[in-house]
Amino acid sequence: MADSLLTVVVSQGQSRNPEKRDLEKAIADICAQIPGVSVVVIPHLYDLAYDSETYQKLRAIQGDMVVFAWLYDRAAHWVLDRNAVRGQVGEVLLVPADYQSDEDEDEEEEELNDKDRVANLNPRPDRFVYCIDLRASEDKEAFVQEVKRIAANSAAKVLQNRPEISQWIEGTPTPESLLRYLNPVSSVQADAPPQTSAAASIYSLFGANELTKVEEHPTRRWYPVIDFSRCTNCMECIDFCLFGVYGVDTAETILVEQPDNCRKGCPACSRVCPENAIIFPQHKTPAIAGAPVEMGGLKIDLSKLFGAPETDEDAMQVAARERDEQLILAGRQAVGEVRSKSNAAAQKERPKDELDNLLDQLDSLDL
Amino acid sequence: MSEPLIFMMGNFSAEFPQTILYVKNHMWSVQTEGSVYRFGLSAYAVRLLQDVYFFDLNIEPGMQVKAKQEIGSIESKKAESSLYSPVAGLVSQINRNLLDDPTAINVDKYGDGWLFEMQLDTEAVGQLLSPDQYMEHLNQAWEVAQRTIKGQVNG
Repeated sequence: MADSLLTVVVSQGQSRNPEKRDLEKAIADICAQIPGVSVVVIPHLYDLAYDSETYQKLRAIQGDMVVFAWLYDRAAHWVLDRNAVRGQVGEVLLVPADYQSDEDEDEEEEELNDKDRVANLNPRPDRFVYCIDLRASEDKEAFVQEVKRIAANSAAKVLQNRPEISQWIEGTPTPESLLRYLNPVSSVQADAPPQTSAAASIYSLFGANELTKVEEHPTRRWYPVIDFSRCTNCMECIDFCLFGVYGVDTAETILVEQPDNCRKGCPACSRVCPENAIIFPQHKTPAIAGAPVEMGGLKIDLSKLFGAPETDEDAMQVAARERDEQLILAGRQAVGEVRSKSNAAAQKERPKDELDNLLDQLDSLDL
Repeated sequence: MSEPLIFMMGNFSAEFPQTILYVKNHMWSVQTEGSVYRFGLSAYAVRLLQDVYFFDLNIEPGMQVKAKQEIGSIESKKAESSLYSPVAGLVSQINRNLLDDPTAINVDKYGDGWLFEMQLDTEAVGQLLSPDQYMEHLNQAWEVAQRTIKGQVNG
């Protein structure tokens, strides 16, 4: 079977909220009508195991992919990556209203270039994975328009690589004009002439439209996901975690080796990561769950009313306390706050040695 | 058997059976056998949340939890919250039925909507509130809750 131009994956949420379920279904149904687009509906992608039917199916898909999930886009991208569904981060324009602006993102990208990141040393395949946070809008049309925009981009890319297709269409089409070819019904009136033979030829290159659903019922899981576009392989996490979650691969690159050793609810290792590369997609704190910046919760937080304790700890103290709580729950001894070498260095300057004193004296001489 | 106590939350009357005990964090508690107590969310908590769609616990049977330790989370149409242990105790059972479908919390909060069971020592049992004590606590809590909700909605 020919691959689709674009595969849309709809990851169902864990919540029973009927509005959420309706939105998932509407997006899947409408996207399956877009020419060149196939749709796969899957269970919550975070809960699925590497060997699950869903991931076997997703790994077989070669082309660009749009993934809808009730997760921050960054979290969804790196959950897929750990399950070997890999690609470049596709730019999504439809994001929740309180995401940071593009300007800040550019600055952040520059910041990310100052160190060796694992994803730079070990590049991901040259196709795009566009992760869309289903909390970005309540309007299904907004999501469908974003899929159409992405489909047009993917089509333009295919045309570049396949010049023989361009011959069917006169000139060099822009993504917009291509979209009209690919999707004549949405952009013209219903009484418009039928689609051209050129457009029909494009469709014939791709598999027929398809809507499939993978029926699996995974149980809930809890484990960290590493954002390798940020990770510098510094090994703070493997030093900190005392439950054997982390390991290294044959190339000495950090990986989440035993995800199910992780202690449910504990996000402590993400707090000690100097690059904020560790994501717990289900944590209530947006920054830990993969949000681009620290931002207010999307809903009212009633935790204070239900007994949340007030604290004034710093991140390292919180991490140590959370780790101790988990050690005790597991019937082990608490270890308290043990700062690793590099963290300690960052916290406290080394004592001055003789050379330092000499240099200080030289500095103080008015030469 | 005596009628349930009523607490007015605006126009909504929340009902509290007099046959069970309560906790300041808006859970109810009832002794099931020996030192084992079952816990659930009181009508006050369920009314604040409204229509629970998602419920998750971080605890498993055999875990010793401290009072106010974070033990799970809950999400509803209008709000979300972490859940905290009402008192210290040894977890003996959790209601796994709610993980797939938490509807019972909405429709049968004092029955099938129970959350978990813990073994308590006498000190922990002593911290549970009688229905009358809980009503007194609600008078203050309701004031704070209204301020918090208004603050977050308008803020």
